[in-house]
Amino acid sequence: MRKLIEFKNIVKSFDDSLVLKGINLSIHENEFVTLLGPSGCGKTTLLRILGGFISQNEGHVYFDDIEISNVPPYKREINTVFQRYALFPHMNVHDNIAFGLHIKKQDKQMIEQKVKKMLKLVNLQGYEDRPVTLLSGGQQQRVAIARALVNEPMVLLLDEPLGALDLKLRKEMQVELKKIQQEVGITFIYVTHDQEEALTMSDTIVVMNNGEIQQIGSPTDIYNEPENRFVADFIGESNILEGVMLEDYKVKFDDQTFECVDYGFEDNLEVDIVLRPEDIDIVPLDMGRIKGVIKSAIFKGVHFEVVVETPYREWIIHTTDKVELDKEVGLHFFPEDIHIMYKMGTY
Amino acid sequence: MVGAKSHKVLIFVLMALILTFFYLPILSLMVFSFNDSRSLTSWSGFSLQWYEALFKNREMMMAITTTLSIALMSTFVATILGTLAAIGVSKSKRLVKEIVLSVNNFPILNPEIVTAIGLMLLYSSLNIQKGYMTMLLAHIIFSTPYVILSVLPKLRRLDPDIAEAALDLGATPLEALWKVIVPMILPGIISGALIAFTMSFDDFVISYFVSGNGVKNISILVYTMSKRINPTINALSTILVVIITVVLLIVNLYPMLNKKKELKEAE
Repeated sequence: MRKLIEFKNIVKSFDDSLVLKGINLSIHENEFVTLLGPSGCGKTTLLRILGGFISQNEGHVYFDDIEISNVPPYKREINTVFQRYALFPHMNVHDNIAFGLHIKKQDKQMIEQKVKKMLKLVNLQGYEDRPVTLLSGGQQQRVAIARALVNEPMVLLLDEPLGALDLKLRKEMQVELKKIQQEVGITFIYVTHDQEEALTMSDTIVVMNNGEIQQIGSPTDIYNEPENRFVADFIGESNILEGVMLEDYKVKFDDQTFECVDYGFEDNLEVDIVLRPEDIDIVPLDMGRIKGVIKSAIFKGVHFEVVVETPYREWIIHTTDKVELDKEVGLHFFPEDIHIMYKMGTY
Repeated sequence: MVGAKSHKVLIFVLMALILTFFYLPILSLMVFSFNDSRSLTSWSGFSLQWYEALFKNREMMMAITTTLSIALMSTFVATILGTLAAIGVSKSKRLVKEIVLSVNNFPILNPEIVTAIGLMLLYSSLNIQKGYMTMLLAHIIFSTPYVILSVLPKLRRLDPDIAEAALDLGATPLEALWKVIVPMILPGIISGALIAFTMSFDDFVISYFVSGNGVKNISILVYTMSKRINPTINALSTILVVIITVVLLIVNLYPMLNKKKELKEAE
C-alpha cells in the first residue's frame, strides 16, 4: 500500500505543557488506523493537527509527499467527523450533507445524486427533509459521516465519534463503520480511548500515552505481543509482574523459574511479564505450577473473573467453570502464554 | 387572614395607581392629538387636523425623515459592527474579553448626559462641524454596545466545533461566518438591531448635544416646540409612541415566537 500521510517529529505544547513529544507515524492508503490512548495522551491533538485546526510547534506533516503544515483546513483533502457531530442545526439533513458540495459550487443535479447515494450508504433514505435537531444520536452520527464522506476525501478523520452512543448502538456502528470504510475504500483515522473498539475495527492500532507512541501494530500484535507494561495494561486486563530473564527461554518470577518462548534478551535482565487472564487455567492443587487460594469470583456474563491469592500476588483469571471460594487450587499456563517485555525506558 | 386579603387589595390599588400615573399622560397626549380645538385639556370633538398640520409642516416632516434615516443607518452600521465585535470577543482570551466587555458596558451604564457632553467636546476639539454626520456617528456609537450584548449570549452557546466543521467541509473563514455562524446567531442579531433602532429613534439627550446646523430629529423638535403649546406635538408624539411600542413588542415577542416555532418543529 502507498504511504499517504507522514508525521515527522511532531511536537506540540499548550501553554507550558508538552502534549506531543515528537511523533513519527506513517499512514497508508485504505488503512483503518486507530489512535488509541487514555484521555490527555495527545491523540485528539494529533488528529486536529492533521485536520489543520491547530498547528504543531515543531515537525512536518506530509500528505502524498507534500508538506501541508501551512495548508488551511478548507484546502485539505481530509474531512472530519466530530465528537459531538457539529451538525448545522439551522439546516435539514439534506442541506447538511450537501454543504460541502454547495461550497464547491458543484452542479445541482450532481449534488442531488451524491446526497442520495450517501443517504443510502448510511442507511438514512427518506430523511432528507428532517431537521437535524430532531434526530437521535445515532442518526446524527450517520448524517455527520455522510456529510464528511460526500466530499470524497482521501482521508476521513473520526474523533471518538461513538462516544455519545449507548453500548448496543455503539457495537452496531462499529461494524457499520468498518463496512463503510471497506465500501468507500479510503483511509480512516479513528481516535478512541476504548480498546475494544480499536481491536474490533482497526487494521493498525497506534497506542499513545503522554504524548508518545507506545506501540504501532495490528490488533493481534498489540494484544498478544504488547511492547511494554503500559500497552499490556491498557489493552485488556492483564497480570503484569516483574521478573528476571535468566537466559534465553528461561524466566524467573515469584522465586520460581519457568520455561518460556522468548529469547534475545540480555542474561539476568530485569523484565516485565504479561500473563493474560484467559490464558491461565485453574487446575487441581497437585497439577498447578503455582499454588493459591480462591479469594473471589465475579460473574461477568460470559466468564467468571476469579482472583487467586498466592504469597506473592493476586492473579486475575477468566474462566467459564464455576469455582469454590477459599479453595486451594493450582494455576497452570503454557510457556507460550508467558510474554516477556522490556521494562519501560530500558529499550 | 383578613390581613392577607387587605394586603392583596393594597397591592392591586398600588399597581393600578402606578400604571395610571405611567400611562395616563401618554394616553391623554394621544387622545388630545385627535382634539378638534387647540386646547390640551378640554375635549371638543374628533378631528385629524393636527395630523394634517403635521404632514404639512415642512420642519416636522424633515425631523421625521432625519430621525428615520439616522435610525435606519445607525442600526445597520451598529448591527454589523456589534456582531463582528461580538464574534471577535467570543474568540478572544479571557483577559481581553473582560476588558472589552467592561469598556462596552461603560456607555450603557454611564449617564447619557456624560456621553453627550463627551461627544460634543470631542467634535468641537477636532473642529468637526456638528450636523447630520455627527449625529449619525453618535447614534452608531451609543447603540453598538447593545448589539454586542445581545449577540454574545448566542455565540456563547454555539458549539466551537461548528465553525471548524464548516472549514473542514471546504468553506473559507468568510463563507463559514456567512453561511453557518450568522444564521445560527441571527435571533441575537435581530433583537440587537431592534434595540439599536429604538435607542436611536427616541434619543434626545445625546442628539441634542451633537447636532447642529438646523439638523433636528423628532425629539429635539418636540423639545424646541414645547414652549409654544400646539397639538401637532401630540400628533407627532403619538406616532413616535406607536412606532416605539411596535418595535418593542417585536423585540419581546420575537424570542417567544421563535421558541414556539422550535417547539412546533419538535413535534
